[in-house]
Amino acid sequence: MPAAFARYRWCLLLLCAGPAHAQYDVVDQPSNLWLRALVDVRLAGGGPAPSWTDSGPGKMRYGGSTGYDRVTRVGLSQAALQVGATLPWDIRAQAQVNVEPDIAHGYHPWLIEAIVRKEGGDERRGWGIQSGVMNVPFSLENGGPAWTPEFSISTSALDSWLWEDISLAGLEGEWWTTRSGVRLDALAGAGYGGDQIGRLLALRGWVMGDTLGGINGNLALPGRPDRTDIFNERDHKPTVYGWLSVEDEAQIAALKVGVLDNQGDESARSVWHTHFSTVGLLLHPLAHFDVLAQYLDGVARVRAPANDSALSAFYALASYHYGQHRLSFRYDRFRVRDLDGGPSTNENGHALTTSYLIQLGLRSRVALEYVWMSSHREVFGPLNPTPDGWQISYRFRY
Amino acid sequence: MYRYKIIGVALFLCSTGLCAGAPSVSGTVTGADGRAIADAVVFVQGPPEDADRPRRPQMVDQVDKTFVPGLLPIVVGTSVRFPNHDQIHHHVYSFSPAKTFELPLYKGEEAPAVLFDKVGVVKIGCNIHDWMSGIILVLPTPHFAVTDGQGHFVLEDLPAGTYSLAAWHSLSKVKPEDTVQSVAVGAEAARVSFRLPLSVARTRPGVHGARAQP
Repeated sequence: MPAAFARYRWCLLLLCAGPAHAQYDVVDQPSNLWLRALVDVRLAGGGPAPSWTDSGPGKMRYGGSTGYDRVTRVGLSQAALQVGATLPWDIRAQAQVNVEPDIAHGYHPWLIEAIVRKEGGDERRGWGIQSGVMNVPFSLENGGPAWTPEFSISTSALDSWLWEDISLAGLEGEWWTTRSGVRLDALAGAGYGGDQIGRLLALRGWVMGDTLGGINGNLALPGRPDRTDIFNERDHKPTVYGWLSVEDEAQIAALKVGVLDNQGDESARSVWHTHFSTVGLLLHPLAHFDVLAQYLDGVARVRAPANDSALSAFYALASYHYGQHRLSFRYDRFRVRDLDGGPSTNENGHALTTSYLIQLGLRSRVALEYVWMSSHREVFGPLNPTPDGWQISYRFRY
Repeated sequence: MYRYKIIGVALFLCSTGLCAGAPSVSGTVTGADGRAIADAVVFVQGPPEDADRPRRPQMVDQVDKTFVPGLLPIVVGTSVRFPNHDQIHHHVYSFSPAKTFELPLYKGEEAPAVLFDKVGVVKIGCNIHDWMSGIILVLPTPHFAVTDGQGHFVLEDLPAGTYSLAAWHSLSKVKPEDTVQSVAVGAEAARVSFRLPLSVARTRPGVHGARAQP
C-alpha cells in the first residue's frame, strides 16, 4: 500500500510541477498508517474422504465429497487484511483479519492478530514488549506475508496445529543480544484463552493445511456437530510460554526451543491441561538451500471424558530457491497416543509434500503442491483415509 | 636537507591552493534553527552528464534488515548493485519516477546491477520488511559532497569557474532548485552555507526478534 500510494503521489506531483523541477521533488515521509492485503484462490483436488473442515476424517484442507468421491474445487482460500500504524513513542500497532470460508464455515472474518509493540535497540541488541491478540512464535514455516507458509502451500502437521489452535490475548517480553558471533534471543509471554489447546488434536488429530486461527473463530471436529472454540477461557489461569533462539551471526544455523503450558485446571469442566515443548533447527548450508527440522512433544489432559493424549510430531524440510523459484520437499511424522483408555485418540501417520512456488513480480505468486499421506486413526476404523491431494494457488498481495 | 626542501615546496603549493586535492568549496548546512545537518548532499547543479559514460559501479548492501548505506548519492549513469548479506530473502523495489525497478526475492549477490540513468530521488524499499527504506540520489554531475555530523562539507577538485551549488536533504521542505547559490571558484577556497528547513523525521518501527518475518 505505501509503495503504491507513493507511486500515485509521485505521478500527481509530476503533473503539478514543471519539468525542470520534477526531478528533485521533496521526499515524501512514510505514512503513519499502512494497509496491506492478500488474496489466495485455489484449484484443489483431494480426497476421497471429506476434509475435516466438512467434519469428515480427511486430513487435508480440501477433501472429497460426503459420498467419498474425489472432487476438484475452486475457491477463495484466504483473504487477509493487515492494518498497521505508528503510534507515539515509536510504538507499532498492527492487526490482521482473515476470511477463510471453508474453514470458518462461511465468510466470517477472524481476528488473527491485533498487537501493539515497542522495541528498543537494533537487530543486534535490543528488547521488545508486545501486547494484544497473537499466536505463539513457534512455527518455523509461517514466515510469509500475513503469516502464510513460506516454503509450501500447506505447512507441516506440527506448524498447522500451532497456527490453527492457539490464539491468546496476552503480553510478552523479549530480549536479544549478539556476542562473540552468536545471537541469543529469549522470549517469555503469558496470555488468556488457551483452556482448550490440545482438544483439537485429541478429538480430530493432526492435519495439514494453512489455517490461521482467529481469536473469535472455531474449528470443525470430525463426526461431530459441534465446533471447538479457538479462544476459550474458563479457569482464568494464563497460558505461559517461552522461546529461546541461538544462532550464529552469519545466520548459517539456528537452534530454537519453545515450551508452552496452558496451566489448565484439570478439575474444572471442559478445561484441558496441555503442555508441550518443541525444538527446531534451521540451516542454510549453501547459498540456495534451506533446511528446517522441528519436533514437538506434549500432553493434553482433561477431566472428562477420558481423552487424555500424548502428542508428538516431527517434520524435516529441504528447500532450494533460485530467484523467484522455490522447490521444497518435506517429510512429516505425527502421532497421538491415548493415555487413559477411554474413547481412543490413537493416531499414527506420515506424509510427503512436494511444492513449487514462483513469485511473479511484487504482487503475484503461483504455487503448486502435491501431498501424499498415510494416516490411521483408530476411531475412524475403515474410514481411515490414505489421501493424496494437490493444490494450485494463485496469490495476489497488495 | 633535501627532505626539508621537498616539504617546504609542498607547503608553499598547498598554501597557494595549487596543491592537488585542495578544497575548492567548503561550507556548512544548517537547519532553520541553526543546528548542523548531517547527511545533506551539496552538489553542482548543471546539465546532466552523459548517462552512457562508464561510471564506477556502486553498492547498497542489505545487512540486518537495513540498507547500507541508507543514502547513496551517485552521478547519473552509475550502476548500483544490491547484494543481500542477510540469510533471509529481500525483495528490493522502487516506484520512483527517476527509476522504477524491482529485484524479486533473493539472497546473496545474485541480483543484477541496476543502472540509474535519470537524475532525481529514488526511494527504495523491501516488499517483505516494510520498515526498510533507503534513498539513492541521482545527481547530474560527479561534483557532490555529503555533510558530516557537524554539517560540514568539502567539494574538492572543482576546476576554476563559477558554479551553481544546490543542497538536498531527505527531510528538506524545500527543493534543491530553491537552494541554488552561485559561487566562484578560483585560486582561493570558497565558502558557502545553506540553510534547510527540515520536516520531522518519521520512521516505521521495525520488528526484530522472534516476531520478525523472515
